[in-house]
Parts: sequence; C-alpha cells; structure tokens
Amino acid sequence: MFKKNPNIKISNISYSIDGKCLLKKTSLDVSGNGITVILGANGAGKTIFLKLLSGLINPDNGEIKTRSKDFSFSNSAMVFQEPIILRRSVLSNILFVIDKIQSQKKIMASELIDTLGLSGKDNQSAQTLSAGEKQRLSLARALITQPKILLLDEPTANIEPTSTIYIEKVLERKSSTGTKIFFVTHDINQAKRLANDIIYLENGKVMEYTKSSIFFKNPTTLSGKKYISGIISDVKNNN
Amino acid sequence: MGQITNSFFEAFKLIFSFDPELIEILYLSFEITLIAVIISCVIGIPLGTVLACTRFYFRKAIISIFFALMGLPPVVVGLFVYLIFSRSGTLGWMGLLYSPTVMIIAQIILITPIICCLTFQTMESLHLKYRELFQSFHIGKVKAMKAYIIDSRFELITVILAGFGRSISEVGAIIIVGGNIDHLTRVMTTAIALETSKGNLSLAMGLGIILLLIAVFVNVAMIFTKNKFLNPSNQDL
Repeated sequence: MFKKNPNIKISNISYSIDGKCLLKKTSLDVSGNGITVILGANGAGKTIFLKLLSGLINPDNGEIKTRSKDFSFSNSAMVFQEPIILRRSVLSNILFVIDKIQSQKKIMASELIDTLGLSGKDNQSAQTLSAGEKQRLSLARALITQPKILLLDEPTANIEPTSTIYIEKVLERKSSTGTKIFFVTHDINQAKRLANDIIYLENGKVMEYTKSSIFFKNPTTLSGKKYISGIISDVKNNN
Repeated sequence: MGQITNSFFEAFKLIFSFDPELIEILYLSFEITLIAVIISCVIGIPLGTVLACTRFYFRKAIISIFFALMGLPPVVVGLFVYLIFSRSGTLGWMGLLYSPTVMIIAQIILITPIICCLTFQTMESLHLKYRELFQSFHIGKVKAMKAYIIDSRFELITVILAGFGRSISEVGAIIIVGGNIDHLTRVMTTAIALETSKGNLSLAMGLGIILLLIAVFVNVAMIFTKNKFLNPSNQDL
C-alpha cells in the first residue's frame, strides 16, 4: 500500500475477541511523520487498531515494527476519547506521568498549560474542569512525555469548539516538529483539516491507506466513496 | 417505665460527672479499637489494593476467602484466639491471654477482612478506570498502587470508619479472650453485658448511650464524606 518515508511496518496483524475477528490480517507501511487519520464507521476497528499500535493490547499474530529504537511505540503516548483524569490538581495530573520531576519539566508543564488554554488553573482540582478542558489536560499530559508517536482516539468527540481548536493547533505544531500522530475521528471536515494521510477501515479491514487529498477527492474503494458521501449527506440533512 | 427513666437519669449523671470508672472503660475501648483499626488498615488497605490491581494464580480463590471471612462469627474468632493463647495453646508461652493485646489481635482478625474487601471493591473500580491510562504511560505497579490509594482517599475514610464502627461495637470475641477483667480488659461492650446481668442498669445505660452516640457519629461522618467528596457532581478534590 501507500508508502512515503515508511517508518512503521505493520505486518499481518489480526485481533479477535471470543472468536469474533475485530481486525483482519492487516499489513501496512506507515509514514513516520505527519498526521495519519483513521476513519471508519462505528465498529470498524479504529480503536482496536489504535490500541494495537500503542501496545495496550497484543495482536493474535503478526507484528508492528518501527525503524529505530528511538522512534518506537515504547516512546508513545495516548489520549483517550473519555479523558481519564486523576483526582488531583491540573499540574499534578501532568507531572504524574513523569518519572523524575525536575524543574525543567515543571517549566514545560506550565508552558503546556498555557499553550492549551488552561492558564491560571495549575493548582485547580482537575475534576472541576469542563469536558473540553479535561481533554486538553489529557493532551498536555501526553505531550510532557515528549512522545515520538502520539495516538489520539476521538479526542474531540463531545467537546466544545474552543477546545477542538486548541487541540488541533497543538497537534499541527507537534506534527511539524516531527511527532508522528495517529488520530481517530468521525469528523470528515476535521480529517480534511488535519490529515496528511488516511487509513480507512471497514469491518476490521484496512480498505484504503492513501494521501488525504487523494482519499477525499477520489477514494479507490466503493465503501470509501459510500462512507464519505454518507457523512456528507448526513451533514446536509442536518443543515 | 420508671426504672428506664431512672436509669437514663443516672446514666447522664455518670456521663456529665466524668465518672472515673466510665472514663477508664471508655479510654481502654478507644485504645484497643484504634490500635486494631490502624493495624488492620496497614494490612488490609495494601492487600485489598494488590488483590484489585494484580492478576495471579488463585487470586479469585483468595478474594473469595476474604469475602467469606467478612462474615466470621466473633465468638468463633474469640474461641480460636483463646485456644491459641491459652496456657496449652501454640502461643500460650507468651502469656497474653486476658490482656488488651490479645483483644487487639482478635479485633484485627475480625476487621482486617472487612477493610481488605471494602478496599478491594473501591480499588477495583478505580483500576478499571485508570488501567489503560497507566498502561499507555508505562506506569509501574508500585506507582500505580500509590496513585490508587491517594485517589481513593475519601472512599478509604468510609472504609476505615466502617472498620472502626465494627470494632468498637464488638463483644463476642473480646469477652472470651479478654475476660472482662475490671481495670484491665473491661471495655464498653463487655461492661454493658456484665452490668446488665448485675442489674447495675445506670452504668450499662450510660455506656450504651455513649456507644450509640459513637455509632451515630461514625454513620454521620460516613454519609458526610460520601456526600461531600464522593458525589460525582461535587468532586472538588
């Protein structure tokens, strides 16, 4: 499939639960930079794919390899759809994932708090933040580990536009500085805004992996065409 | 009716006059209960956390045993501890029978499963919530467990209060191993049992009122903790 500076080699991975195959034998050479958006209908296997990449779950067979030790999934961070926030202050939430808290990391945490629009909330209880602020905090916590690979599972679902803008801006900046980003979304317009390339999944199978511009102009598979047109018509109907 | 009213009157008189006998019994009751609860927490909270957050062979069997131990009949525990610490028992050489120490041991056996199981339930739900986050950040088990304990601190207060309530109101085991000896092992519950049988209802009633007030206070504290800190809409933690 589509190759552009491949740094991540996914070979023949599959995953099933209770005999039900959730991800069928998948092989991909994924680019080691830019933002890869993973698209697909509900139950297509997007979250499973992301969890397999992160190592949260292990594939039944196959393997995921990266080119170098420095650029590997052991140096990755994940942001979940539902922000998981510890019962402590905003700053403590960010610093929790650091092994040794040095003054440099504290400065970095404060910078991340400012960048993500949480200024002045350093010592506020994280439980009192809004849903969008919690998700921004989740992203800040992921970024303080300075991951080479960042995985995000529908981070902007159910949050307000302001938070979405903050998150998108930060992701674009991180991507431009060399962080590889995998981003799951249902929002086609967001995918168009962010994606360098698209992985399109259907029923646990990768149907397409191509450049974003090509996918949205002319998807090669019928299901890809249907997926895009379905969502576009949904949006039209809603309007 | 007159006797009850009279007993109440006498009881309040004893309480407000700070009767030395009453104070002595109260002091020993709190001393034994607090030491037993502290030791039970030191054992039960980490144990409950480990059982909730780790997977190993026979884990489910161990959890089932601890849950079964929650319903241990106090008199059976008392008998068991008595047999161990009696002169002919395994630990008889220690000479601890009819001492506050052995009463604490009996209390620990009774309360630790309660503390452990309630902690387990709290930690298990937190573990389900945090597991993927910790896994994704490669957080070590020790650090994760510390986080579970810190983040469930308010739930743990109710766990500790439940253990305290159970311990202070215990009578069956401690009367067997303590012997209810005046100025040595007499605590509130055993004193109530003895004074009632002697017909000294005023002291029994006075102790009963205090025990009741403690039970009410513990329950109010538990409800307050739950409402103040554990209500999802009011988690200003």
